[in-house]
Amino acid sequence: MDPITFSIIRHRLFRVIDEAVITLKHVSGSAITNEGHDLMVSLYRADGSLLMGGVGFLHHLTSAAEACKAVIRRFEGDIGEGDVFLTNCPYTAALHTSDIYLVAPIHHEGRLVAWSACFVHVYDIGAMVPGGFSPESRDIFTEGFSSPGIRLVEGGTMRRDVMDTLLNMVRAPEMVALDLSSMIAANNVARERMVALIEKYGADPVDRACAALVDQSETLFRKRLRELPDGRWESRQYFDIEGETCKVLLAMTKEGDALTFDFTGSSPQSHHGINCTYWASWGGFFAPLFPLLCYDITWNDGVLRPIRMIAPEGSVVNCTRPAPVSLATVGAIQSVNNAACTCIAKMLSASESYAKEATAVWHGSHFAIFMFGLNQRRQEAIGILTETFGGAGGARTWADGIDVGGEIPNPIGRMANVETTEATFPVRYLFRRATPDTGGPGRWRGGNGIEFALVQHDSPEGGINYVVSGKGTEFSMSEGLGGGYAGAPCAYRWVHNNAAREAGRNVNPYPTSLDAMTGEAETISWGVFPLKGEDALYVRSDGGGGFGDPLEREPARVLADIEAGMVSEGVAASVYGVVTAAGAVDETATRERRKALREARLATPMAAE
Amino acid sequence: MSGTRISATLVIDENRAIACAACGYALGPAGGPWKDAARLDERPMQGAGGAPYSNAERVLLRRFLCPGCGALLDTECALAGDPFLTDIVKV
Repeated sequence: MDPITFSIIRHRLFRVIDEAVITLKHVSGSAITNEGHDLMVSLYRADGSLLMGGVGFLHHLTSAAEACKAVIRRFEGDIGEGDVFLTNCPYTAALHTSDIYLVAPIHHEGRLVAWSACFVHVYDIGAMVPGGFSPESRDIFTEGFSSPGIRLVEGGTMRRDVMDTLLNMVRAPEMVALDLSSMIAANNVARERMVALIEKYGADPVDRACAALVDQSETLFRKRLRELPDGRWESRQYFDIEGETCKVLLAMTKEGDALTFDFTGSSPQSHHGINCTYWASWGGFFAPLFPLLCYDITWNDGVLRPIRMIAPEGSVVNCTRPAPVSLATVGAIQSVNNAACTCIAKMLSASESYAKEATAVWHGSHFAIFMFGLNQRRQEAIGILTETFGGAGGARTWADGIDVGGEIPNPIGRMANVETTEATFPVRYLFRRATPDTGGPGRWRGGNGIEFALVQHDSPEGGINYVVSGKGTEFSMSEGLGGGYAGAPCAYRWVHNNAAREAGRNVNPYPTSLDAMTGEAETISWGVFPLKGEDALYVRSDGGGGFGDPLEREPARVLADIEAGMVSEGVAASVYGVVTAAGAVDETATRERRKALREARLATPMAAE
Repeated sequence: MSGTRISATLVIDENRAIACAACGYALGPAGGPWKDAARLDERPMQGAGGAPYSNAERVLLRRFLCPGCGALLDTECALAGDPFLTDIVKV
């Protein structure tokens, strides 16, 4: 095939996905999809293998391939033109039940030539707790509707019996119907554009171009791997859930043009829903791998070919049915993301050519808070606070992490305006801002996280409820790189203003910080809580990891951070060794301070002692 | 310090030793672990980077330091007794 036609077809495949994503967003009505971009659309070959990965949450690209393959196996000989299949079973392909895959065959002249697949986190899935994150579930059976594969649309016609059965098992069925409609629409657009592409260039040429595209990715990725040094890099993630401490251990080995991700030593599966299944772990490390190692390579099955994974069965990264997994995406999967990010970054750091591509971990905890209840219009409101997608950038080897700068696994994620949330839920923000001193110190500072506080407002029921799935409060999960510190951990506080009022104290209705709040601030991290009366919810997310030695940071940058309110004077002096006075760096005092800190380092014991 | 880069802070020197990129202090033979030959400052993560570091008391910040110049070579978030993370680069 001539290279120009090949490039045109490749580009058209990109655009097919782009247009399908736009369609999905136009039809969907939920903030988690439209604001958070907790979505994905990708194209797959006739055998279900990844052809062209789209943006959105990247750990879905490979899992949706498994969804296609599972449907192919289950419905072999019975896959018709215009069909759409649904699967959300985590033990088949999905990450958790809330993330429904709709996969659709694409036919041309009666022959199955490709698949399109997409997902959104649906409004509700009928789990114990509205929204799908179900902290009290102890097995998959209490995490809502789950199907290993069912035909939702047959020959272009909705199967009402199937749709109605599904909607009968969820809260806010009209919103779930909209979620499903958005995915059907996205698949329809993908199919129509793919068929148009085939009709223009011919089925066989397009098929050859697709095969060549996959081979090209493999060739380019193996070449990149050969350019990087061989070695073995380790990383470790801890997370705490209700007194339980889990570890994800990763040893990544690179030999020649192959990579192995070995999770041996990771904790046994938990009875909390933070576990993830095999294919979720597989997708979990591809989420940082695609952007960090394949930023200029088409994300498809060719990238998968040089990769091997070892994930012990029965562990937190490869749990066995019926272990609960409703919080997998912010649980073990996120830790797999983080651990892989660290190992890949270490490998990149070992290369003169690629060190600039390395990054400390971004938004390691991926804190998540769902709210549910009646809103000010007496509608059932369920949804995530999209600050979870605000994130915090990890420091690069050449730049600071971006404050509230998002996350690696979802390049297009973003958080909603305060007003959007206040229009959706009966709440009022007291404040929302980047939090000083949360980014990991380093020569390049990790991006600061976010803090905010909410009270109920105009609620017909006196308030609303929220679900906290708060790992990352005990441990820092955004690892630093090259001597940079990990970012600060998360914090969640239930501020008991109602009790303060009952005790006869005046309640400050407009505090602008946690310290200015009246009631007792109770530390919480896991479960369902009320936001009623005058009580407040305070949330502080984690910061990004730092890069390099904080004593090597240019004093002028530290001063700029102080002036911007991003670093306190105390941390500037104690961690960065930078002394300021009258709005300027005190050069002499800084020199002496840094000298003293270095001398103190040289008085520490040898590690082997 | 010249040499072949193996991390942001370490190189392999002309004697095939892992060395501090800042001062050249040798930390062991190439292809092996090096952290035992570094200085270790192990302290609670709590407060290590400022007030928001509200980590549990048991969580430690490990800082591996060059015995030659005090450069900060690597960090780890760890629980007491957990082994050092080992990175091996073959160059």
